[in-house]
Amino acid sequence: MQKLGDFKLPQFFNYPPYFTLQPVRETRDKQVQLWKEMILDYCRTQKIYVIGLEEDFPLFTNHVIERSLSHEARQAFLSALVSDGRAEWMDKSHRKCLILWHRVQDWADLILHFVKENGLEDSVMTVEEIRSGTESRGTELHGMDRTVLMRALKLLEHKGKLVIFKGTSADDEGVKFSV
Amino acid sequence: MRRRPGIGGLQNAAAARDQFRALGDNVAKLRTDLMKEQLSTFRSQLEDFARKHKNDIRKNPAFRSQFHEMCAKVGVDPLASNKGFWAELLGIGDFYYELGVQIVDICLATRPLNGGLINLEELCKLLRQRRKTAREAVSEDDCLRAISKLKVLGSGFEVISVGKRKLVRSVPTELNKDHNEILELAQVQGFVTVEEVERRLTWSPGRAIDALDSLLDEGLAMIDDGHQDSKRRYWFPCVSSISSYVGTDTL
Repeated sequence: MQKLGDFKLPQFFNYPPYFTLQPVRETRDKQVQLWKEMILDYCRTQKIYVIGLEEDFPLFTNHVIERSLSHEARQAFLSALVSDGRAEWMDKSHRKCLILWHRVQDWADLILHFVKENGLEDSVMTVEEIRSGTESRGTELHGMDRTVLMRALKLLEHKGKLVIFKGTSADDEGVKFSV
Repeated sequence: MRRRPGIGGLQNAAAARDQFRALGDNVAKLRTDLMKEQLSTFRSQLEDFARKHKNDIRKNPAFRSQFHEMCAKVGVDPLASNKGFWAELLGIGDFYYELGVQIVDICLATRPLNGGLINLEELCKLLRQRRKTAREAVSEDDCLRAISKLKVLGSGFEVISVGKRKLVRSVPTELNKDHNEILELAQVQGFVTVEEVERRLTWSPGRAIDALDSLLDEGLAMIDDGHQDSKRRYWFPCVSSISSYVGTDTL
């Protein structure tokens, strides 16, 4: 099986017609489903949070069979992910897409779990510490994309589990947990 | 017997007719009895044979196929019913029933990818993958028998020949001669172009596009506009192994 790094590429990736948007509804639906699954799996295993439509995202091209997804096709597949709630457009012109291989709710749950595991129920932390501090090492939170992290924290704030506040330095924010 | 007019004569004629009839019935009965006896001898010999070679029938697809032929010659169908001698002795009814169910499953699962037409070879391959842990090996002949049983149930399954290959159809789509010829042509590279179809089959442009588009609409073909030469290619999953490219883990 072909691999991209350590990611096992599904075999449909080697069948040329899958790189052309299919006109027939049923066939197109299946095509979109296969691409959605592959994109999510790839992003999850490679910890990719953002896909730029005009950039060289490895899945958009298969050099072996010499096929590449058109801009329209890329839009179609990513829009499908957005409709599923597994991605979000980061700009109006749909050039960048935030991939939620964990949904925001899932990230929020992971943060709560992390807080309980480390006895941080009433403590204060900077946002940066959550994603790169020693406690988060070995958890999925480590190295997390900041945008996604903020989204999850805002969700938790909305639920009254924490309060976000501005820190002393201009660029970092802090969190007071009340779990 | 002298014909006599009058009531007596009529009575005699009736009696004579009855006698002939009785004789005729006897002859028929004799013939039937003889046949029944012959058939019963055949059957018990076949049963003995089946008993003796039960394991071979179970384990060896080639042997199993020959056994079926033998049964057919004698007019015995081991698959006719799920109960009774054959099913109990050989468990063969269950075997083909199980195969049938698995075949239907595979056809349904691959339908979105190949439009309801799958290569027999590929179907068998997927079947074997699925039955990895089962004791019995499965041959193409077994697949064909299981499918013919499915046909009897009226489930719309059919095996069609296209060129050198056999394709299993699980949808009511009728393939006309034009479609067949395109499929045969596609077997070489897995795809065709309009130009190729026109050239090789000496068709008018309209005819080629019509046939290709209807195959596309049926979900039997997929388009590919990505080649450097910008010529549209029509790919046919049913003549290649694409169905096994995808979703084999779900099978």
